[in-house]
Amino acid sequence: MNRVVLSERLVPNLYRLVLEAPEVAAAARAGQFVMVIPDGKGERIPINLADWDRERGTVDLVFLNLGASTRKLAALKPGEAVEGLAGPLGRAPEVSGSGAVLLVGGCYGIGGLYPLARELKQAGRRVIFLAEARSPAYLYWEDRIKKYADEFLTLFREDCLGSGQNFKELVGEVISERPDIDLVMVMGCSYLLFKFSEATTGSGLKTLVSLNPIMVDGTGMCGACRVSVGGRTYFACVDGPWFEAGGLDWQEYFNRRKAFLFQEEQALARLDREFWKRME
Amino acid sequence: MSRTDRLEPGQAERLLREREKDWRKALRREISIQKRLAIERQPMPEQEPRVRIGNFKEVNLGYTLELARAEARRCLDCGQPGCVAGCPVAIDIPTFIKYIEAGELEKALEKIRETNGLPAICGRVCPQEVQCEKDCNLVRAGKAPVAIGHLERFVADYLCLREEAGAGISSSPELARRPEKIAVVGSGPGGLTAAADLARLGYRVTVFEALHLPGGVLAYGIPEFRLPREILQSEINFIKALGVEIKTNFIVGRTASLEDLRQDGYRAFFLGTGAGLPSFMNIPGENLLGVYSANEYLTRVNLMKGFRFPEFDTPVPRARRAAVIGGGNVAMDAVRTALRLGAEQATIFYRRSRAEMPARVEEVKHAEEEGIVFNFLTVPVRFLGNDRGQLRGMVLQRLALGEPDSSGRPRPVPIPGSEFEVEVDLAVVAIGQSPNPLLIKQLPGLKLGRWGNVEVDFQTMATSLPGIYAGGDAVRGGATVILAMGDGRRAARAIDEFLRKE
Repeated sequence: MNRVVLSERLVPNLYRLVLEAPEVAAAARAGQFVMVIPDGKGERIPINLADWDRERGTVDLVFLNLGASTRKLAALKPGEAVEGLAGPLGRAPEVSGSGAVLLVGGCYGIGGLYPLARELKQAGRRVIFLAEARSPAYLYWEDRIKKYADEFLTLFREDCLGSGQNFKELVGEVISERPDIDLVMVMGCSYLLFKFSEATTGSGLKTLVSLNPIMVDGTGMCGACRVSVGGRTYFACVDGPWFEAGGLDWQEYFNRRKAFLFQEEQALARLDREFWKRME
Repeated sequence: MSRTDRLEPGQAERLLREREKDWRKALRREISIQKRLAIERQPMPEQEPRVRIGNFKEVNLGYTLELARAEARRCLDCGQPGCVAGCPVAIDIPTFIKYIEAGELEKALEKIRETNGLPAICGRVCPQEVQCEKDCNLVRAGKAPVAIGHLERFVADYLCLREEAGAGISSSPELARRPEKIAVVGSGPGGLTAAADLARLGYRVTVFEALHLPGGVLAYGIPEFRLPREILQSEINFIKALGVEIKTNFIVGRTASLEDLRQDGYRAFFLGTGAGLPSFMNIPGENLLGVYSANEYLTRVNLMKGFRFPEFDTPVPRARRAAVIGGGNVAMDAVRTALRLGAEQATIFYRRSRAEMPARVEEVKHAEEEGIVFNFLTVPVRFLGNDRGQLRGMVLQRLALGEPDSSGRPRPVPIPGSEFEVEVDLAVVAIGQSPNPLLIKQLPGLKLGRWGNVEVDFQTMATSLPGIYAGGDAVRGGATVILAMGDGRRAARAIDEFLRKE
């Protein structure tokens, strides 16, 4: 059991939990994730580490309230606890190098990339942070990130709609104006990863995406998270979650994420009924 | 070679000493050998196949006291018991069986627990037919062997499920507490056995488990219809009552390195990290929706209780036509699980023939009774999907048995032009696992074998690194619960010697 120290809604639908997990906090590195089990009947779900505090022995998780498990997490109050938390998992990406790094975060990825911004900056690299959101109301942690980002850019979908420019053109501008960028790292919803990968494909710019496929154990034991990169199968939990975007079989990735769509809706509907009953 | 030659030094004498006790002599005289030989093997009461395919309750219901005592009377209490030599942890089988005959069930359990920390589990999942029961002297007399596994299970169930955790432990001799801390990585059968033995020797033992529940393969792999979880829990409670601490959600190699643990004062290590890496066939279509590793399929059902979805949150695929590829116990578990989850047809595809199937005889028998279809000498060559990336079928090839390969079994050889197609909406790949590389690849200087397995000296289970021991599937690839337990036992003894010498 890991106790909840703080729970807050960051923006509509995105939540932050601070949980006691001293061992995980001590070992955490930027770009890694943890497996969380909300309660005794819960699933094991992967969530990126958005921060940690080694002294207090806590970890920060930022997540989208989307399915039954995340809804359970979003409903937790300080003093309550999650059934379990294990990690840190996944390979931490290499931060050393000399060029500038473009970090692109959308949704939970804004929080998930915050530790990377910090580590890259501390490693002496120029950090450009591009936050993608539906509208300004969905942006969070701007001040935190600005402490480590040399530039903080935003990309709002509502602006895209109005400007007449497409995503690829907007991204192309950001990159072409900054020739010192030699690495792009993207975290967020699958569609953002895909669109960004499209935008940089062929440019020769190294683009890493943090994949978030369905996982069960998160330690390389089951293969639920297999992804095809360059024609080879990898387990995202132990070989990733960071992969070069160019070689990924995106269609397969999108398909596999939807493996349990019907059951996910069923679970959510069931949970909603329970929540209503509790309120009555 | 006489049957008792395979025993460890001193064991034959100990067996003989027990056998020459007055109560044993009296018991042998009570019923003549002819009368004992005339008793038929007592059948295990089972759930009806038609009923059990609709639930996840245990198939075998267990002996009653009457059945157990009748079965115990079949044991001739022979002078050269082949059974003990066939048991990887050398349980004094005749003595515990004769205690059952005498109605002394506590003593029977105590006898088993001298060498086996998990009797309720071994009685259920050991392949007795190739171990203890294989060399039963009744077989020489043309009879069915004594049902040693059923009896072991009976004793453990009869007492464990009634006793509070830790009852009976106080009666064991009080040992000097030892200050050294020992880390056991993995809480499967190997780790639990090593932990229990080391705790009995007085050491401070912590078991680190990566998942959220202890038990390793006993928790995520073996289904409840073979091993009910309250049985596993009672065995784990017993081990905890010995003073063993179990830390779940702790991934050694990620949450902390082995070196971190050493800094924390752990003086010796047992790696029981299992064979967690599932093998795939590397054929086209293997990443389609509906193709699962046996590890994923069984973990969803067993560890996460997906068969009770949506009460439990983890979903499991429900199939109309399920195919399981493989012929071992894992394949049997997967195919029978698919049937219980509502498949209209659940089929095994195995590349060799029935005779080479590595599964326990009882599992194959149960599977057949339940209506599982067996397709021998076939292997998938590709999976077929629809436009949404979902599995809709597979193409298989027929095989013939050729010359024996390195495993001594005939090598399956493809028959050209024999390809055929079947319609399936679930395929579970159960062709084996290799050792989990997560931790063992992080240890510089740790000698690994060809399959990524940890190399050890099988006498002591010592690895190439001092103070680090290993056992179970991490060493053997996919083996059995009891072999893992034997490894844990030998490692515990060697760790004790290692620490005393230091």
